[in-house]
Amino acid sequence: MNQRRRPATNVVIAGVGGQGSILASHLLAQTALKEGLDVKLAETFGAATRGGSVMAHVRVGEVWAPTMREDEADVVLSMEPLEGLRVAVRFLKPGGWALLNTRPWYPVDVAVGRVQYPAVEHIVEGLGKLGASVVTLDATELALQAGNARAANTVMLGGLFALGVVDLSEQNLFRAMEERWPDRLVEVNRAAYDLGYQAVSVSLGDTT
Amino acid sequence: MHPIATGAPGDRLLLLGNEAIARGAIEAGVEVVAAYPGTPSSEIVEALLQVSTELGFYAEWSVNEKVSFELAVGAALTGVRSLATMKGAGLNVVMDMFLTLPYGGTRGGLVVVVADDPGAHYSSNEQDSRFAAQWAMIPCLEPESHQEAKDMTKFAFALSERLELPVVVRTATRLSHSSGVVKLGEVEASSLGPGFNKHWKLAYRWNVYGPPGPPAKHEWQLARLPMMDQESESLAFNELRRGSEPVAVVTCGTGAAYVREALRDLGLEDRLWLFKTGMVYPIPAEMSLEVLDQCDQILVVEEGDPLVESQLRVLAQGRGIDVEIRGQQIEAFLPRYGELNTQLVCDALVRLMGLSPGVDEARKEIKREVASLVIPRSSALCAGCSHLGTYWALRQAMGEQADAVHIANGDIGCYEQAGYGVKGEMPEPSDAPMAHHDSTILYDFLDTLYVMGSGVSMAQGQVRAGYTAGEVVAVAGDSTFFHACMPGLLNAVWNGTKLTFVVMDNFWTSMTGHQACPATGMTAVGQPAKTILIEDVARSLGVEFVEVVDPYDLRGTAGAIQRALAFEGVAVVVTRGECMLQILRRERRYREPYTVTDDCVVCGECVKLGCPAITFSEEEGAGIDQILCVGCDICAQLCPCGAIVPGEEAE
Repeated sequence: MNQRRRPATNVVIAGVGGQGSILASHLLAQTALKEGLDVKLAETFGAATRGGSVMAHVRVGEVWAPTMREDEADVVLSMEPLEGLRVAVRFLKPGGWALLNTRPWYPVDVAVGRVQYPAVEHIVEGLGKLGASVVTLDATELALQAGNARAANTVMLGGLFALGVVDLSEQNLFRAMEERWPDRLVEVNRAAYDLGYQAVSVSLGDTT
Repeated sequence: MHPIATGAPGDRLLLLGNEAIARGAIEAGVEVVAAYPGTPSSEIVEALLQVSTELGFYAEWSVNEKVSFELAVGAALTGVRSLATMKGAGLNVVMDMFLTLPYGGTRGGLVVVVADDPGAHYSSNEQDSRFAAQWAMIPCLEPESHQEAKDMTKFAFALSERLELPVVVRTATRLSHSSGVVKLGEVEASSLGPGFNKHWKLAYRWNVYGPPGPPAKHEWQLARLPMMDQESESLAFNELRRGSEPVAVVTCGTGAAYVREALRDLGLEDRLWLFKTGMVYPIPAEMSLEVLDQCDQILVVEEGDPLVESQLRVLAQGRGIDVEIRGQQIEAFLPRYGELNTQLVCDALVRLMGLSPGVDEARKEIKREVASLVIPRSSALCAGCSHLGTYWALRQAMGEQADAVHIANGDIGCYEQAGYGVKGEMPEPSDAPMAHHDSTILYDFLDTLYVMGSGVSMAQGQVRAGYTAGEVVAVAGDSTFFHACMPGLLNAVWNGTKLTFVVMDNFWTSMTGHQACPATGMTAVGQPAKTILIEDVARSLGVEFVEVVDPYDLRGTAGAIQRALAFEGVAVVVTRGECMLQILRRERRYREPYTVTDDCVVCGECVKLGCPAITFSEEEGAGIDQILCVGCDICAQLCPCGAIVPGEEAE
């Protein structure tokens, strides 16, 4: 099959190591692959396995570089508010979407008293100043409702698809999940996806 | 099984750059693979290890890069295709053989994949390893994309056999650690098996000292240079696209991907020439000369130092061509440190073409304002990590007397994070030749930190310099001990240098992704193996003070280190506790989380431990994150008020 050609869609998935952001980026990239699209996925994470800032660039369509330019992201999806802001300041284009899980994960810098974690309202306000359309959800809580706190990443993917910016089919995302997980986990993650999709659809409905 | 083995020719897979390289080796029929883990190279051999048994080739983690490379060389001399992979720093460990082997070359295809790390995301330096290929005068290929990563690796084996020389494939973090779509190719049949002829085509082929001796063999190698030039010229990975203006961008590797995007974004695709060279040493001379001849201005974009740029300048000078070459030298258009990206290439092109920069000052100002909200997230060890206990005990044993200036020499592994500092605050440098600095938190503890194995030897230099203003210690982990510390330790014993060396044995090469090492008790493919005990090695090297302790027992560990510091000779303390992540993966859970009682007096002592599960503020006092805490008990042992106890937080 020849690759379909179309202008690129750029998504950054951010979070803290251990939250499943890298896994979410792989599911998204596999979805694009299944649609016959070209896709590039660049993971960046520091030396530590857990607890560090994590970012993945997912670029769907005709691109060459694995990473995007400043102000090139159509969407910043973040598993953690501070990480969302960190990434959006650099990569989110004016008018792009910021999709945030509101549950903070405090860095060690806060514990040693050298810095204060910014209030989530201030983070949302900052994103607004950057020209972002901001959508927030408590993905961790929704994941617990779906049956597993670790499914917060698929809650966020549900939210991403509800935004309608990424033109990929849900069916291919579900197939990517099925290839990765046993039935039991697919079920939890499908439920998580639906909850994220609904939550974002509702908040979009509120704003229009 | 991994899709790099199950995929059929023509399949399109989403592969990491490193997995694409692994598939390339499989398609070339590789028979022997060896490496020491090193980010960003590790996934190449990790992927190959998952399929080696089924596909019937040999793959291992070796104790260090020197061993792995020389093992691959030995295999290649018998005519089988062999692969050694390493990070940039790993190449430095193999340089002796790397520079000598080409005098006689190889028979079977021998490919060396080096993964550099511009931007130093995971490394001590930003070295450009391509220069090593130029130094050794062997070809270096540099892939632009995931597809090329596979195709070039496969091609490199055949090239190596044609030239009878080892071939370097150079990758970098952005390619190795990103994924792209790769179309698989056919798998070639393996060789007929190993054979050996000591005088193959040349007398004493595999023995540099054998007559006629090293200079004559050097001459044999130099005679290969024209063949290398020819291969470079006819390389299928080269690309020359002529433009409407006499301005060219010459590029290679991942640089080419950034160049393509920059040219498109600036609408310069048809105006400028684009010349991508697939081989970065030697570059194709004839193609280069056409560009040099036909263009007035050339921008060179390459990831790393100016290797292609320097070769272009030599060619231009040699032919007396007057052309402006812009890159990193003379008048720099691109920075010589950090990592390339599309923006930097755009900026260079804007300057070269005299375009309007189009900077939106208002947006920059907004970004500055919003960025001021962003606080750092410093790197930390994992909750319950055994290194937390070792470091706490070590700091207790050394003491924090204000009149002492201790020197703690670090090494490479997870525990190096004890030298990463906390980003929220930068210390004020001073000119004082001697100064005591409190290390308020674990992450400020290590005073020197360079490369694998350096700490244990540097400590001996400090002792031999007559340094007595404080304690001198060195630390290392298990895998690093076997990789690079044994000669240093032996040296201290032999020369009678007093030394305290703490080895943190957590059974795994954890930082690079929990690969097996001699301390693990199994091989890279999961076969049972002899467990090598660090204390046994230390004793056999002549160390007379050796103690093994449990780092989760703070008092016991501090006591052993105190005795080591008091010992007049070489003392080794092995702190043994398995990597907590591995325990959690296996057991799902370690112990119940701990909690802080009302006895907390908000002294902040627990914060100094550096455990990410401990939260603290002047207002709310100490707390323990109930999700992160694994109940390791270390903080309970150090709390001066006994305010940290087992059990979940009361509702």
